[in-house]
Amino acid sequence: MAELVGIFAASHGPIIGRNWETMPRAHRDKLAAAFDEIGRRLKAAQPDVLVVVSPDHWVNFFINNLPAVCIGIGDEHDGPPEPFMQKVYPHPVLKGHAAFGMHLLQTALDNDFEPALSHRLRLDHGACIPLWRAGVPPDLPLVPILVNDLEAPMPSIRRCLAWGRLLRRAVESYPEPLRFAVLGTGGLSHSIGEATMGWIDEKFDHACIEHFQNGEEQALDDFLTRALPQTGNGAHEIRDWVVAHGAAGGTGFELIDYFPSPETLVGAGFASWKLPASNAGSLNQRSRQ
Amino acid sequence: MTDYWLSKLFFDLQHDPQLAGAYRADMPSVLDRYQIKPDVRRALLDDDVAALSPLVNAYLLRFYFQIRGMPEADFIARLHAMKSGAAPAETARHG
Repeated sequence: MAELVGIFAASHGPIIGRNWETMPRAHRDKLAAAFDEIGRRLKAAQPDVLVVVSPDHWVNFFINNLPAVCIGIGDEHDGPPEPFMQKVYPHPVLKGHAAFGMHLLQTALDNDFEPALSHRLRLDHGACIPLWRAGVPPDLPLVPILVNDLEAPMPSIRRCLAWGRLLRRAVESYPEPLRFAVLGTGGLSHSIGEATMGWIDEKFDHACIEHFQNGEEQALDDFLTRALPQTGNGAHEIRDWVVAHGAAGGTGFELIDYFPSPETLVGAGFASWKLPASNAGSLNQRSRQ
Repeated sequence: MTDYWLSKLFFDLQHDPQLAGAYRADMPSVLDRYQIKPDVRRALLDDDVAALSPLVNAYLLRFYFQIRGMPEADFIARLHAMKSGAAPAETARHG
């Protein structure tokens, strides 16, 4: 049977890709160190497949057809379409893992989740900046889960936790003896294209980290449901961290680094989760009440 | 309130470099291909960030003004000028 061997999360502001060579050296070094640590831990986990949980920045979807969650079930996916990303991450085709993608999709449907599916997704800077900076081998098969973090209404935090538990169940029921890692991307707070653009809400970010560390899923749900409408719009990407947190069983959060990054307009957060013993439990029950 | 055709214009410009080139060269002729309302068309021709902001996803808005060649600092300054009149619940709607 397959096993979950690593769970990680990292910010992905596009300016990291666009201005990597020109941003102040000290700040770039700080970002690089955090991404390097994610990469070190991820490689040490020796995954055979990486599930990337990321938003779609109007690359695959538009408001005429906008899934809450879409699973990439293809053998291949397209690399980033943004010209600035193609310069730093020149991988036009990324390897998928169709068999696990289909298993995850079927597991979802069997458990009353109804995601969209795609046989070929384009992975924008949201997925590819962490892949690039963490030095994830470009031939590592990916199974993308794209979550609508950009346009209201968005999936509830409660549902994102349940998605994480579902993901864990899918891994643990996959018959091949493969090693799986999860990478949630985005956040922490940022504000894009709105009246508060550039605002990094450190108070929100620290509270968020504290809730992940405490591991109380109900408290995390309550906090995010209340706080997300009051902070910058980019913070909605925390849903991808929440899926990762759910996959970890709501425990084991370990902050690698956090610092406000006005140079890239995000509260830059980097984390991994220590993995508990296999115990997905009921998908609709919280791991800790 | 989301304006579908304005959103569609911004989405198409993001995905089609040729269309973006045509838009830079001749905005009115590209706008004629979309069902853009007269007041929205005027806001586009005036680069009126504040008027367009409530009508479209914030990320699409940012990308549009990059296509328009507006320096990001200028774009941010225009957004910040909206602060006094912005309703937090509305601005938070678009993630």
